[in-house]
Amino acid sequence: MQHVAFFLFAAILMIAAFMTVIARNPIRSALFLVLAFFAAAALWILLEAEFLGLVLILVYVGAVMTLFVFVIMTLNIDVTEKQRGFVAYLPYAIISVAVLLGILIYALGSFSAPPDIHLLNGEGYSNTQALGDILYTQYAYPFEIVGVLLLVAIIASIALNVKEKRFNKAIPPEQQMTAKRENRLRIIKMPSNKKI
Amino acid sequence: MHYQILIVGLVFFPLLGALIVGLGGQTLSHRLAYRVTTMGVALSFILSLYLAYQFFFLHGGSYYDANLYLWDMSAKFRFNIGFLVDPLTLVMFLIVTFVSLIVHLYSIAYMAGDPGYQRFFSYMSAFTFAMLMLVSANNFLQLYFGWEAVGLISYLLIGFWFKRESANAASLKAFIVNRVGDFGFLLGIALLFNYFGSLDYQTVFHQVLPVKQATISIFPGTQCSVITLICLLLFIGAMGKSAQMPLHVWLPESMEGPTPISALIHAATMVTAGVYLVARLSPLYEYSPTVLNIILVLGASTALFMGLVAIVQHDVKRVIAYSTLSQLGYMMVALGASAYAAGIFHLVTHAFFKALLFLAAGSVMMALHHEQDMRKMGGLGKYLPITYITFLIGALALAAVPPFAGFYSKEAIIEAVHLSHLPAAQYAYFCVLIAAFVTAFYIFRAFFLVFHGKECDIYSQQLDFRQGAARRATGVYKWYMRIASQAGTQTENSSAKSISEGCRYQSPAVVKLALITLAIPSLLAGYLLARLFLNTKGFLSTVLFILPAHPIATAFSATFSPMKTLFILLINNLALLFSLLGIVLAWLCYSQYPALPRRIQKHFSWCYHLLVRQYGFNELYQTVFAEGGRRLAKLFFRVDANVLDKRIIDGSGRRISWLSSTLRRVQSGYLYEYAWVMVLGIVIFLLIIINVK
Amino acid sequence: MIPMHYYLLLAAVIFSLGLLGLVINRKNILILLMCVELLLLAVNMNFITFSHYGHDLAGQIFVFFILAVAAVEAAIGLAILIVLFRTRHSIEVDALNRLKG
Repeated sequence: MQHVAFFLFAAILMIAAFMTVIARNPIRSALFLVLAFFAAAALWILLEAEFLGLVLILVYVGAVMTLFVFVIMTLNIDVTEKQRGFVAYLPYAIISVAVLLGILIYALGSFSAPPDIHLLNGEGYSNTQALGDILYTQYAYPFEIVGVLLLVAIIASIALNVKEKRFNKAIPPEQQMTAKRENRLRIIKMPSNKKI
Repeated sequence: MHYQILIVGLVFFPLLGALIVGLGGQTLSHRLAYRVTTMGVALSFILSLYLAYQFFFLHGGSYYDANLYLWDMSAKFRFNIGFLVDPLTLVMFLIVTFVSLIVHLYSIAYMAGDPGYQRFFSYMSAFTFAMLMLVSANNFLQLYFGWEAVGLISYLLIGFWFKRESANAASLKAFIVNRVGDFGFLLGIALLFNYFGSLDYQTVFHQVLPVKQATISIFPGTQCSVITLICLLLFIGAMGKSAQMPLHVWLPESMEGPTPISALIHAATMVTAGVYLVARLSPLYEYSPTVLNIILVLGASTALFMGLVAIVQHDVKRVIAYSTLSQLGYMMVALGASAYAAGIFHLVTHAFFKALLFLAAGSVMMALHHEQDMRKMGGLGKYLPITYITFLIGALALAAVPPFAGFYSKEAIIEAVHLSHLPAAQYAYFCVLIAAFVTAFYIFRAFFLVFHGKECDIYSQQLDFRQGAARRATGVYKWYMRIASQAGTQTENSSAKSISEGCRYQSPAVVKLALITLAIPSLLAGYLLARLFLNTKGFLSTVLFILPAHPIATAFSATFSPMKTLFILLINNLALLFSLLGIVLAWLCYSQYPALPRRIQKHFSWCYHLLVRQYGFNELYQTVFAEGGRRLAKLFFRVDANVLDKRIIDGSGRRISWLSSTLRRVQSGYLYEYAWVMVLGIVIFLLIIINVK
Repeated sequence: MIPMHYYLLLAAVIFSLGLLGLVINRKNILILLMCVELLLLAVNMNFITFSHYGHDLAGQIFVFFILAVAAVEAAIGLAILIVLFRTRHSIEVDALNRLKG
C-alpha cells in the first residue's frame, strides 16, 4: 500500500517538476509547481511529517505561490518566444546535470536501508506537539531570529517599492496669501552690449 | 734614484705644456702658446740628451726599469705605470723629442694666422707625450695606452681643419684603420697575458723558453704555436700603426692635415711605433720564423708597390707620403730578416730626412700659398735657395746615395735581407732592390718638377688669394702684408711686376732654421752613427735579442767601418747602381725631355691607371667593409624592428591583451552561466573526491 | 518499508531538475525563481527523510526554518523583480548583463 502511494506521488512530483521547467507559459509553470508541492506534501505525510506537509501547503502554496501568480499577472508577460540559443546551450547543461545526477545516484544507491520501520509513536502522538515541544525550548533562539528575518523581509519589500512623491508645483494657500512683490521680482540693471 | 725624477720630467713636460695651452685655449696669445709648448719639448730633449749621456757614456749598457705607481689591482694582476729606459728607448726618446722640437719651431711660422693656433700646439705636445709614454713603457698595458693615445691625437690632428669635409673623412679613416690593427693588438695582449701570466716586459721575456713549445688549436684539427699567434696578432697592430699593406690606406689620406704634423707623426714618430714594437719584442719574434716570413713578405711588398704608386702622384705631399710607406716597408723587411738594429737605424735616419722633405715641401707650399699640385710648380730653385738645397739633401739621403744618411741604413737592410736564410728572403731581396730604383726615381721626379723646369709665376700665385676664397691664412699672408706696406705700395691693386721689382720672397726665419737643423743629420748621421748601431757590440746589442741561428749581425761585420763599407759597396753594389740609374732617369724624363713621361703614360695606360687607383685597395675596402657594414647594420635594424620590436615586445603585449579579452568572456553577466559554472565546479569536485576514494 | 534511498534518489532527481531549469532558462526570471523553490524542495525532502529514518526531530525543525527562509527569499526576490521590471521593462535574463567584465 505504501509503495503504491509512494510511487504515485513520486511520479506526480517528478512530472510536475519537469513541466515546471519546460513550460512556456509562466502561469502554467507556477501551477505545475503548485502540483509539485502538493505531491511533495503527500510524500512528507507518508514520512510521518504531518505538520510540515500541511505547512507546506498552507504557507508555500497558499502564500508564496500566490505571490508568484500575483507578480506574473502584474507584469503582464507575453508568452515568450522560443528562447534564443536554447539549442546551443542545452547539451552542455544536460551533460553536466546528468553527470551530477549520476554521481548522486552512485553515492546514494548503495545505501542499505535501516532494518525496520515501525511507527515510532503510540496513541496520542501528535507531530505538531512534538515539534512544538522542542521548537520553543531547544530551538527558541533560531525561532526568534526567523521572526526578525520576517520583519526584515517586510521592510525590504516595502522599501524597494516605495514611490517618492512626484514633484508637485502647487504652493500651499497660506503662502499664496502672503506673497509680496519684493519677494517675487527683482530688477537688475545691466549696461547694454555695444556690439550688435 | 734621481733618474726617476728625470724620466718622469722627460715624459711629462710635454703633457704639461699641452695641458696649459689646451686648457688656456683662445685666452692665451699665440706667443705664449708656442713658447710654453716649445719650452716643454725642449726640456724633454735636453733631458733625453742628458740621460743618453749618462747611460751610454758613463754607465755603459745599463738600463733603468722601475714602476712609478700602482694603478690598479685585480686578483691575478697588478697594473703598473712604470718606465723602462734602455738604449732602444733612449734612441726613440732622442728622435721623438728632437723632431718634435724642430716641428714645433717650424709651426710657429707655418700655422701663423690660423684660428686654431693654440689647439695645434697643444695637440702636438700631447702627441709627444703619448709617444714618449709608448716608447718608455715597461709593460704592455702602458704600451697600449701610448698606442691608442697616439692614434687619437693623430685623428685630432689630421682633422685639424675640421670644417673641411675631406679632412673629417680622412681622420676617421685613419682612426678606423688603426682600430682594426688595434683589435689584433689587443687580442695579442690578451693571449700573451693568458700564457705568460703577466704583462711586464721583463717577466715575459724571461719566460719565453718554457712557453715556446706551447700550442693552441684555433681551428679544430690544426695546432699552431702560441708564440707565433701572439707575434702575428701584435704584428697586425704594428701593421695598422705603421701602415703596411693591407692596412696602409689611411696614410695617403692623412695628408689632409697640416704639413708639420705630416712631418712629425706620419714620417718620424707615430708610424715608426710599429717598428719599435717589433724591435722591442725581438725576444718573442725570434722564436717565430713564420711571422718573420710574413713580415718580410708584407714589408717588401709594401716597399715596392707603394713606391710604384708614388711615381704617378701629382700632389707633392702624397709623393712623400707614399715614400714614407715604402720606407716603412724597408724597416719591416729589416726586422723580418732579424736585423733589428738595422731596422732601428733606418728608422733614425728616415726620421731625419723624411721630416726634412716634408718641411721643405711645406716651405714650398707656403711660398705658393698652399698650392700642392706639382704640375703648377716649376723653376722655384732660384726663389727658394735654402729650401732647394735642403730638399736636395733630403732627396739624396732618401735615394741612398753615399755619403748621405740613407745610404748606410738602406745598404745595411739590403745586405741583411741578402744574407737571411728565411724562405721569403729571396722575394724580399728582389723587391727591395727594385724599390731602390723606384725610390730614387720618384723623389727626383718630384725634385725636378718643383725646382727645375719652366718657371711658374710665384708672385701671381701669391696674389691669387686676394681674388679667390682664402680659407686659411698662412704665414706668408702676414709677411706679405708687412712687406707690401713697407714697400709703400697699395695692397689692393698692386700688380705682380711692382712686387717682384721691390722685394723677393723670403721664407720665415724659423722655417729656414728648421730645415737646416734637419739637413745636418741627414747628411752626417749615417756616417757617424753606423758603427754604433750596426756593430755586434753596438748600442742595441744588449737590448735586441737575436738567435744564433739567424747570423745576420755577425755576418755583417764584427768591426763595422763606414769608410770600408763605402768603398766596397760603391764598387760591387747592385742597389747603389739602381739608385743612380733612377736619378739619371728622372733627370732625363722631367728635366730634359718633358714629353717622354706623357708618351709612356699613353702606351702603358693600364699600368698607369692601376697605379693611380692604388691597386684598388680603397675601392675594395669601401665595397666590402663599408658597404658590408652598412648592409649588416640594415639587416640588424630590420631584425630588431620587425622581430624584436613587433613580434616579441609588442607581440607579448598583444598576447596579453588577447588573453585578457578571451578570459573576459567568462564573466558574462548572465545568471544562468554563473549557475552552470557552479554546477560544473561541483561536478568536478565530486569526481575528484570519488576518484581519490 | 520503503527503502530510504528511494526518497533520497527522488530528492536528487528533483534537485537536478531544478538545476537544469536554472541553467537553461533564459527568457524569464520568474522561472528562475521557481526553480530555486524546486531546489529547496528537494533539500527539504532529504531532511525529512533523514529525520524519519534517523529518528531525530531536528531534521523537521530544520525544514521548518528552511521553509521560513525560502518564503522570505521568494518575497524579496519578487520585490526586486518588480523594481527591475520598472526600470528595464523586460524580465529577460539575457538583458541583465550589465555586470559583465
